[in-house]
Amino acid sequence: MNLDGSAVLHGTPDDVWRVLTDPEVLARTIPGCLALTRVGEDAYRMDVAVGVGAVKGTYAGEVRLSDQKPPRSYVMHASGAGAPGNVRATVTIELSPSDEGTTTLAYSADAVVGGPVAGVGQRMITGVAKRMAGQFFTAVDAELSGAGVPAAAAEPRPSAAAVSSTDAAAPAPAAAPAPPQVPTARPGVPAGTAADLRTLAVGAAGGAGLTLLGVLVGWLLGRRRG
Amino acid sequence: MTTKLFGEPVRRREDARLITGRGRYLDDIGAGALAAAFVRSPHAHARVVDVDVEAALDVGGLVAIYTYEDLTGPMAEPLPVLIPHPQLHAPRTGYPLANGVVHHVGEPVVMVVATDRYVAEDAAERIVVTYEELPVVVGIDTARAAGSCVHPDVPDNVAARHHQETGDVEPALAASPHTLTFTQTIERSACTPLEGKGVHARWDPDDGSLRVYSSTQASTSVRAAIAAKLELSLDRVEVIAPDVGGGFGVKIVHPWPEELLVPMAAIRLGREVKWAEDRREHFVSSAHERGQRQQVTVGFDDDGRLTALDVHVWHDNGAYTPYGIIVPIITATQLVGPYAIPVYRVVVESLYTNTVIVTPYRGAGRPQGCFAMERTMDRIADALDLDRAEVRRRNLITPDQFPYDHHLTFQDGRPVVYDSGDYPGLLEKLTALVGWESVEERRAEAAGRGKLLGAGMALYVEGTGPGPYEGGHVQVLGSGKVLVSTGLTSQGQGHETVFAQIVASELGVPMEDVEVHTGDTRRFGYAVGTFASRAAVMSGNAVALAARGVREKALRIAADVLEADPSDLEIEEGVVQVRGTPGASIPLRTVAVLSNPLRYAFDEAAKQATQFATHDDTRPPVAPGDAPGLEHRDYYSPLRSTFASGAHAAVVEVDPQTWEIDVVQYAVVHDCGNVVNPMIVEGQVHGGVAQGVAGALYERMAYDADGQLQNASFMDFLVPYASEVPDVVIDHQQTPSPLNPLGIKGAGEAGVIPGSAALASAIEDAVGRRVAAMPISPSELYDLVRDPSSERTAAAGRRAGTGATA
Repeated sequence: MNLDGSAVLHGTPDDVWRVLTDPEVLARTIPGCLALTRVGEDAYRMDVAVGVGAVKGTYAGEVRLSDQKPPRSYVMHASGAGAPGNVRATVTIELSPSDEGTTTLAYSADAVVGGPVAGVGQRMITGVAKRMAGQFFTAVDAELSGAGVPAAAAEPRPSAAAVSSTDAAAPAPAAAPAPPQVPTARPGVPAGTAADLRTLAVGAAGGAGLTLLGVLVGWLLGRRRG
Repeated sequence: MTTKLFGEPVRRREDARLITGRGRYLDDIGAGALAAAFVRSPHAHARVVDVDVEAALDVGGLVAIYTYEDLTGPMAEPLPVLIPHPQLHAPRTGYPLANGVVHHVGEPVVMVVATDRYVAEDAAERIVVTYEELPVVVGIDTARAAGSCVHPDVPDNVAARHHQETGDVEPALAASPHTLTFTQTIERSACTPLEGKGVHARWDPDDGSLRVYSSTQASTSVRAAIAAKLELSLDRVEVIAPDVGGGFGVKIVHPWPEELLVPMAAIRLGREVKWAEDRREHFVSSAHERGQRQQVTVGFDDDGRLTALDVHVWHDNGAYTPYGIIVPIITATQLVGPYAIPVYRVVVESLYTNTVIVTPYRGAGRPQGCFAMERTMDRIADALDLDRAEVRRRNLITPDQFPYDHHLTFQDGRPVVYDSGDYPGLLEKLTALVGWESVEERRAEAAGRGKLLGAGMALYVEGTGPGPYEGGHVQVLGSGKVLVSTGLTSQGQGHETVFAQIVASELGVPMEDVEVHTGDTRRFGYAVGTFASRAAVMSGNAVALAARGVREKALRIAADVLEADPSDLEIEEGVVQVRGTPGASIPLRTVAVLSNPLRYAFDEAAKQATQFATHDDTRPPVAPGDAPGLEHRDYYSPLRSTFASGAHAAVVEVDPQTWEIDVVQYAVVHDCGNVVNPMIVEGQVHGGVAQGVAGALYERMAYDADGQLQNASFMDFLVPYASEVPDVVIDHQQTPSPLNPLGIKGAGEAGVIPGSAALASAIEDAVGRRVAAMPISPSELYDLVRDPSSERTAAAGRRAGTGATA
């Protein structure tokens, strides 16, 4: 399936670039990020715990990168696999300057989903993806506006969705230093957030999409360290 | 003698199980299964703009959400038009889940699967579907006006124009001494079985097989539909109809969206999935029937004999036509009833509306046809000041006219040729049973009590037992148990009893030894289904033929053992014996053992069949052309339908204060050929009469102009209680059918057919105002009588003239 979307983040492409290359920020902001490791030149692994409906489980994602034009765009050839299923995808990500010092992050993924998770229905998968992408971009935007939590607090945790109650309006549990929630005043429309989210299923591969985002940053991380 | 049971009032053997809670209905199956729930359209006609599931994701226990986008291959195509017909020029069917546009309230848009039904309903409730409403077509008038259309490519809303005629009607009418033209309407009702629809599916990923339980009237065809739609090999699909809590027609339609979607989910999720329809779902997403407008023009002579009949019917078929034009055809062809009509023309226009689909409901178009014909008889009698029974008698087909060819084509594509009957006999029995001659005295007596009494009657002929075929399998086990199976399904009619009676009688075994199975594709793969009063005719004859095959083989084997001629043998109480020679006998169970030559003796009985126990060296153990086992499979396929008949009379008392209508007497004369079990036939008649009274006085589907069904619950949709169903007195007449071995005709639907006609006639007779629309409530009757413009009957005028109360 094709998954496209974008988010307008409050910062210049360089700001966004900087935030997206801070491993601690990423560990904090990627929902359900359990591990982020470099396994070779331009090759990375990342584990993401996804917990929405039947899309619950841990996905191990691997990625190879190409067509890198920092700080403008990348192409990822990735795969994510876990008990709930697997995904194979090619994702193009572009950063471009937008109005008033903001940056538009646009992504376009072509994904193939398989395994049990593929059987739960497209609306469900894209719904989960919207949810998690919203959380990720909202958190990243919070980091850009200096609202992020200290790196020390960063630790692996399940995604916000996994611990949310059956009440759509429930706040995130205080226990986890979770990224800013996306309060849903109306279903499907993130409200009260700084980020203008127009995401369409970045993670439509049931969490694997988020794995890809995570791996993208893991790659940036590795590069800076290298 | 327990082995000659054909025709005996044997008690229903299934009842003990069913009434003590030991029945196994759909919802009793799959306790651990995932549950499905549906998001259904709240609009009668709308475009689906968006489906937002975000809020549902937080519901713990949610497993899957399916929309049209998730349907692939044949599942993404429209549901089948089950019964195509050349005159159905614009057939339309829906999709398993709405594809962009919904055409009636209740159409499924999203399927939710969760750990249980509560969770599934909670999740479904949180799914936000955005609609863009479109113009709505409700009711026959709106559909005919065609100001807007249900399907954009059917601008006049006409799905079919069914037309049959037996001669040139216009000149015949022009030459008639008298003609009458009038219009009548019948409102919508529905089967409303106490158990709604339901589906349970289990997928075995290891051998790629699917087992589906469905509360259906056609398990073999549901199986074929599932295999085709889900692209599975037929041999990988089993469909079983468990105990079914009533069908009355609505469960003959298939595949229902849920019958495809639940198995699809079971396969995709690798889990058991179940859906049991709730009552509101049944009202707004299953099927209705009856709704028709009729315009009748009749020509007749001074004696009240018909010279020509011209009928135009407008039939509301709802949003889709999955069941073709079966109901219109039946109305058109069964309208003629027991009468000889020199020239007949009928046109039925089947119209689309944004309402629930219309498919057969017990009677299936016959109550409407009977209403048209019988009320025509009443009007002729009124116009000529003749007795209503006498006008009917003068027009009846006489016993010497059989087989009687109406020169019409029936719903099975075969000619409407009445095989046998005695209609004057019916009328004579009926007038005697109800005391027709004493009605005027009773009217006066009731008037003395301040009540308006009236009597009415209605006759009908019902084509039953259409083909193409049914089959039966009978097997005698070494234990003596006799297994009987047939593919058609049971919904409480008593098949376990009547089929056992037939086989016990044919085979000469005690009924207790006979075990009957129906509607299970694992046991019998070839069948059509239970509809059109065909179970006893079709499967009854099929199991009889199968039993005769078993009997023949049993006698042949026993003849060898007893060294006798097969023609000298008889089977009584499960023992084969030489007629008149008490000693020479062999139990049928032993014959069953001997019918299967054995190498291995697994028990005492088996020893008799082992290789050193048998001594005929002149031929192989299994002779050429023979087969091991004492069993036989046979099929019954009729040349055409067999035509049952009957006559009902009702006496009502109307209270001029409340206009309450009290049915004080209801008489039925019933002819379904040879009767297998009179107790069961009478039970079927009683149930039919209850539904006939319901359709005449209580049941209607109250749609508003926006296509919202306003009485979609048993609080608002009135069904008669025992207190509203009159005591029914029944007299039987038996004119055997020459078409089938047992000489039987169907009896399942008969009781409902004349209800509205007989009661309208009785009410009209009581109040002296023309009753042209049914059902009729006390309030409507009050309005009718108070309306100065409502037509008075001539009879009422005559009575008023003679000072009688009217």
